[in-house]
This record gives sequence, structure tokens and C-alpha cells, in this order.
Amino acid sequence: MSVAASTDTYENTAISARLISVENGVATNSGTLSLGLDIKLAEGWKAYWRSPGEVGLPPEISWDGSTNLATAQILWPAPERFTAFGIENFGYNKRVVLPIQAVLETAGQAVELQAGVTLLTCSTVCVPHDFNLALTIPAGAGIDAASAALISEFAERVPLGPDAADIEVETAVIADGALYVTARSANAFVNPDVFPEMGPTFTFGKPDIRTNSAGTELWAKLPLLASEEQLPLLQVTVTDGSRAVTAMPEWSNTVPDAPFELVANLPDLAQILAIAAFAFLGGLILNVMPCVLPVLSIKLTSVLNHGDKPSHEVRNGFLMSALGVLVFMWVLSAGILVLQSVGITVGWGLQFQNPVFLTIMFLVLTVFAANLFGIFEISLPSGLQSRLARSSVRDGYIGDFATGAFAAVLATPCSAPFLGTAVAFALSGRPIDVIIVFTALGLGLSLPYLLFAWKPGMVRLLPKPGRWMLVVKWVLAGLLAGTAIWLLWVLMGVSGVRVAVSVLVLAVLFVLFATIQLPGRYTRTAALAAVAVLSLALPGTLTPPPTIKEIGQDWVTFDRSEIPRLISQGQTVFVDVTADWCLTCKANKTLVLDRVPVVDRLRDEKVVAMQADWTRPNPDISRYLEAHNRFGIPFNIVYGPNAPDGIILSEVLTSDAVLNALDAAALATDK
Amino acid sequence: MDTKKRSTLLTIGAILAGYTALRTVPSLLPERLELVPLDTPIGFRKYVAGETSGGFDPFVGLGNVDSAEATARKAAALKRVSEDICGALYGGLETTASKIPMASFSDYYCPFCRVQTKRLADMSQEMDDEVVVAWHELPLLGDSSNLAAKAALAAKRQGAYVAFHERLMKSPFQATPEYLRRLSDDLGVDGTQLVADMESAEIAQELENSAALARVFAFVGTPALVIGRTVVQGQISDKMIGQIVELEREEGWGVVCVSV
Repeated sequence: MSVAASTDTYENTAISARLISVENGVATNSGTLSLGLDIKLAEGWKAYWRSPGEVGLPPEISWDGSTNLATAQILWPAPERFTAFGIENFGYNKRVVLPIQAVLETAGQAVELQAGVTLLTCSTVCVPHDFNLALTIPAGAGIDAASAALISEFAERVPLGPDAADIEVETAVIADGALYVTARSANAFVNPDVFPEMGPTFTFGKPDIRTNSAGTELWAKLPLLASEEQLPLLQVTVTDGSRAVTAMPEWSNTVPDAPFELVANLPDLAQILAIAAFAFLGGLILNVMPCVLPVLSIKLTSVLNHGDKPSHEVRNGFLMSALGVLVFMWVLSAGILVLQSVGITVGWGLQFQNPVFLTIMFLVLTVFAANLFGIFEISLPSGLQSRLARSSVRDGYIGDFATGAFAAVLATPCSAPFLGTAVAFALSGRPIDVIIVFTALGLGLSLPYLLFAWKPGMVRLLPKPGRWMLVVKWVLAGLLAGTAIWLLWVLMGVSGVRVAVSVLVLAVLFVLFATIQLPGRYTRTAALAAVAVLSLALPGTLTPPPTIKEIGQDWVTFDRSEIPRLISQGQTVFVDVTADWCLTCKANKTLVLDRVPVVDRLRDEKVVAMQADWTRPNPDISRYLEAHNRFGIPFNIVYGPNAPDGIILSEVLTSDAVLNALDAAALATDK
Repeated sequence: MDTKKRSTLLTIGAILAGYTALRTVPSLLPERLELVPLDTPIGFRKYVAGETSGGFDPFVGLGNVDSAEATARKAAALKRVSEDICGALYGGLETTASKIPMASFSDYYCPFCRVQTKRLADMSQEMDDEVVVAWHELPLLGDSSNLAAKAALAAKRQGAYVAFHERLMKSPFQATPEYLRRLSDDLGVDGTQLVADMESAEIAQELENSAALARVFAFVGTPALVIGRTVVQGQISDKMIGQIVELEREEGWGVVCVSV
């Protein structure tokens, strides 16, 4: 039995747990206490959330044997997702404090708490714990600052209600064996996660969560592992770094479309056409690259050598070559679609918020840009080249088809930068976009063949190879470098300056190693590989968790001397004395003050909402409370022309009580 | 020129290989087979992994406020299994000197138990002349844990233990008659028989025996595994299980199976 703001600690290899209280004593007239179950978990051990996920059990506390305790409610901080052995679990690791909002039977009197805790913790072994924590809080005063700080920290992590949060959960729908959830937030999502709760008979697999490029719209698809015919109420918790919301969205009937990550909204026809036009242009430009033009010349020479062929055969030959190019592109896009579907099942986050993906893209682009600038060269092995060239001189349509396909393959040393970039971008797009982009690329690349098929006389128009080709190459290299810089900027936004700078330095090193002659046969390869692997390992480990976002408030800071002045002007003043560690205050705020209709009423121009923050000791606020014969919080009071001395509200607020007090305090004409 | 071309491919290959290695090598590092003899029961020994699972009070289960009758039953079970530990562990298995028995202890609420059950089931199928598994239930947490355990053991009586566990991986256990009926249909077992078996004295005794074994071996939680005469608590790789099986075969696990 301990008489302090904390119990003795229950301890073993997996956990150490104690019960803490903000209040060292139950203050006069005070009817609530802010408690916390403080659980420290050893390395690798996890405890569970109120909904544990696929398996597991939530912590439970029995208060049997306590005296002067009416109710005790656990507030659950937002959980983390653990995926181990292919099983999705929601819970906590390292440390969690479960804030407990206790309501007393008799205000101002001593409390004896008996907390019987049952708790399952798992690492690769599941160990159940069953222990008792006893705490006596006498009548008296005093706040334990350390406990207050600790409980506040975790109370901050309890998801807000839908009216108070800056995340709005919009719709939910169950279709084809999955739950779809959409949400929006004016503050962009950085690292969102979605935790649905539909009772014990519904369990969910690994979610596929995507946001639009602005990060303001969230789309999530959670496969249903187990479900019932009867749909229960759905509660969804959406977390994003340090902010979280729990809401009960309406069931909707339409399955929401996944956002396309490269553009703000789903691309409409005009956008798709624009993308296709760019791809087409890109393909066309590829034709004048130093290693593509020769292939084209070979083809033309072979046609001219067979000058005795009938013209329709020549035409068809060119058409077959064009088809060859297109088939190569389709094979490429099929490969991307396969990769995409694998990625979705494997759970690659191929989005532009994923630091590893961004790093890979940045490296690829940097290397390709350096290659185009002529710093070093990427090329196919000569054996493959000559084999391809040999097989492309076969006769007939098969030969023509092969020529086209090989033209595309042979062009890769020069076109790789673009194809590679296109592939990388396409990986995060929709299947339809992938097919359109690559078809357009192929059409651009095969345009010469198509033109010659249409008018063989066009051959004369073919530009002569020359120095101007280098200029084209440099311009393209500049474009790639620009894209690489943009990606680095995005990476900086996702992972911070430290990661971005490290990746940049490593990329420069990579290009450097690729350029200079290193001693030893495989030194260069080893150096390059080491640099690349290091840069891939960096972002995952160095990316800091997203930072907290400030949310604007409709409250003015408490100023006692202002109150009479405001009343004399006919205003109604609502005063809320609160603190971060006060759980009842948080509950009041979430359930009443931040909700319609009260929140609208407080925004009324005739009403001034004042907040006094007592998180840290403040003698002004303490004296103000004493003046009203109060020593604890929450404390809410309404002043107005009709109630200059104020109407004190009860500790636990209701919407009606607040509205009635506001009405009673206001001038009769304002009612 | 040609060497340059080759080195481009080589470099790309090296990058891929390096990254793959980074992701997989930690799991490939050799593990040491470290065994520590147990004081009780004599002859058994414990597999000591990198992660210690010591420092707990031996597992007793939760929310069990024991009546005098329950205490007596527990004492009886403890006496029963202590007299014939091998019988309690591996009772009913067809073992030979070269066919190593394993006893798997699991609970429905424990994530890793699912993995172990599946792996041991696969192993006993692939190496059916080398290992054989006895399934034990060690319900950790109160009533639904107990009911799920009884259902699993009843399913085991009709040869559907692994199927039952696989089914539970997809849908949570519910202690309702409708659920049990549906479950029986899905598993292709006789539902009436399943419900009758769940309430039978044999299954009650089987659970008591498993709990008594857990006390004898001082298990702290689930999953737990006994291979021959080697006790394993928590995670262990397939490779390591294979090594222990090999060792048990060489040393002759049967030496411990004499009445104590």
C-alpha cells in the first residue's frame, strides 16, 4: 500500500508497471482524478490496444475493492501497427501510459484504489501478467509534476473526436472482401495509418494506404480476413505521426477510387492526353540519339538494297518494324504491371512519400543524367549487340519485326535514361496510365517507320547525324538533372535535410567512382555497390518521425481583468480553466466544447471563449480558482450581463448545461 | 570498351546483390546450439537462445481463483504427469529410436503460436519418418481461451487439429453453438461429436495434464516446444529444430523416459 502519486512497481523481464496519479491529494470539492497506468516494455515486447488486431488481448483493469471510486475510464493512446510473422497487431512498445479518468463517489474525500491488471505481452513468446496495484490518495492538495507531465504526454496521443481533429474521416464501404476508408485533412498526411474496429468477429489484413500528391486526401483499402453477414457499427482511428482521430464514418455505397500519386486528382482526359503527348515526343526524340539513328540507317540500307521488292512489301515491312517497337514497349509495361501487383502484395510503398523509393529514383536519375552528360557510359555487352544485329538481317516480315524490336533494345544505352525514368514514374501510376504512356513512347519511337510506310520518299527528310545530336543529348541530360533535383527536394520534405544531404553526397560519390580509374579490377564495382547500398539503407534508418502540427484555436488567453469590461459591452464570456494533464478537461473539450452545437455558439460574435492554461503553476489562475472556492480543475464558468458574478458549471460538462448557462447569462434580447 | 560494358552490368549486379544481402544476411548468420541441463525434470535440458525468457514467475494462467477442488485436481494432475513425463508429453505417439517426438504447447491468443503450429505441421508432413508432433493446448487467458482450447482438442480427436488452427488464423473463435456448428462443417468433422468431446472428462484431463507439464517445465508462456528431451521456449528457427532433432537421434532421447 503506497501513499504517494505512484504505486510500487510490478516488475519482471518483460514489463515494469505502476499506477500513477497527477493529484497527490483529493482537493476540496474535487470529484475527479487523473490517473495513469504506466507500462514500460522491455526490448521486443509488445502490449495491445483496445482492439488488438488479428490476435492478442487488450489490457484490462478491475477496480474491485476500491473505495470512493464511482467510475474509471481508460483513454487509449493511438496505437502502433506491428506486423510480425505476417500477422497484423495494434498496440504499444517501449513505453505506454494509459490515462485513466476516475470519477469519485464523494468529492473531496480520500480514495483507495485497487487496480487488478491483467495484461498480455508478446515477443516471440506470449506471457500473461496478472498483478495488483494499490494506491491511496488522501484528502488534501498538491500536484505531482512528473506524473502530470507523463500523463499529459500520453493523453496528447489519445485520438481526438471528429469535431476537434483536423482529420476528417469521410466514407467507409465494404466491397469485394475489403474495407475502403477515405479521409481528408487540410494539413497534409505524412505517415498515415488506419485502424478500423468492428468488433471481435471482423479482422483485417495489411492495409494499402495511399494519399494524393498534395497529401490532403487519404484512401485506404484493408482486406477483410474475417467478417459476418451483419455489419456492426464501424469505428475508425486514423493516425498520422503525433495526431490521430477516432470517428464513426457513415457507410457509403460507392467504392472510392484510389488517388493517382503523380497529380493532385485523378487525371482527366486532357491530362492523360498531355502525358501521352509528352511520351510521344520523348519517343520521337529518342530517334536522334547517337545509338538509335544507326539502327534506323541499317534498316533503311537493307530496304534500299532490296530495291526490287514490290512497294506493298516494303510498306508492310516498315509496319512490322513499327509493331516490333510497340511490342517491346508493351512487354516493358507488362513488366511494370507485374512489378506493381507484386509490389502491392509485398507492400512496397511505391509512392512519392516513401524515402527509399525516392532515394532509388534520385540515384537512377543522377546516374542517367551523368551518363548523358558523357561523364561515363552505360552500354550493352558487345556480344549481345552483335547477336542482335546478326539476327536482325533475317529476311521477311519476321526479320522486319525483329528489326523494330531490336531497334528498341539496341537503343537502350541511349534511351535507358528515359525509359528508366518513365518506368520508375509509371511504377507509382495506375495501370491505364502505364499502358498509355508506353504505347505513346513506342509510337514516337516508331514514327519514322510509320512515315516511311506511308511515304517511302520521306527517307530524304531524315536528318544527317552530326554535332547537333550532342546538343539534344545535353538538353535531355539537363531535364533529367532537373527532375533529380526536384526529387531531392521532395525527399528533403519527407525525410529532412540530413537524409537529403547524405543521399546527395552519396550520389556524387557514386558518379565520381564511376568516372575515375580506380586501382584493381573489381574495386570500382565494389565501391559503386557499397555507395548505392549505403544510400538505400540510409533513408529508412534516418527518417525522423513526423512532427506535431499546431492547430488553430478559437480561444483567447485568459485575462481576469478583461471579464468585467467585456460584460459591460454586452458580451457573454465563457471561461475554461484547463491543463494538459487533466483528463476530465480533455474529455469535456472533446465531447462538449469542440463539438457542434457548443463550438458554433462559442464562435458567436457575442460570445468570448477564454482559456486559462494551468498545465504549469500559475498564481493568477490559482487565486482565481480560490476566489470561487475551487482547488481543482476542470473549472468552467459563464459570465454575462445577466450573470456578472458568473454561473459555475459542473466538472463534467454537457452540451445542454453549457448552452443553458450561455443563454441565462446573455441579455434577454440575445436569446 | 568491352571491359567497360562488362563492368556496367557487374556494377548493377553488385548493387542488387549488396542490397539483397543487407536485407537477408542478418537472418543467415549461424546460430549456436547452446543447451543447459535442467534441474527438474532430470535428464531434460533447455535450449538457450540469444533472447532470454528467464526472470518470470512460471506461468500459471490468468484469472484463476482456485477453489479447493480445483487445487486438488491440479495437484493430482501434477502427480500424474510427474510419474510419467514422457507419457504425458508424447502419449499416443508412435515413436521409434529414429523418429523424434515433439510436444507443441500453444494458445489461441498468441500470434507466434500460429506460426509455430503451421511450421511444425509442415515439418511433420515433410519428414514424417523423422519427427512426429503431439499437440498440447495451454490456454492462457480466461474463458474464451479455454473454450478455443477445448474445441481444438475436440477437433484433434477427429484428426483436424491443424485444420482447426488454420481456420482460427482467418476468423476469430466465438464461443457460440452456431459458430461451432459452422466450424465443424468447414473442417469436415462431426459437429455433435465435437461439442460432446469438448465437454468430455478426457479433454478436461488433457488440459489439466498440459497445464501440469507447463508447471513441471516452468514454461513462462506460449508457444513452448519440447523436442525429445530438449525444452524450447519461444522462437526457434527451422534449421535449429532440425539440428536438435539430429542431436536427439544421435544421443537417443529415450533415456529420459524411465519412471522418475
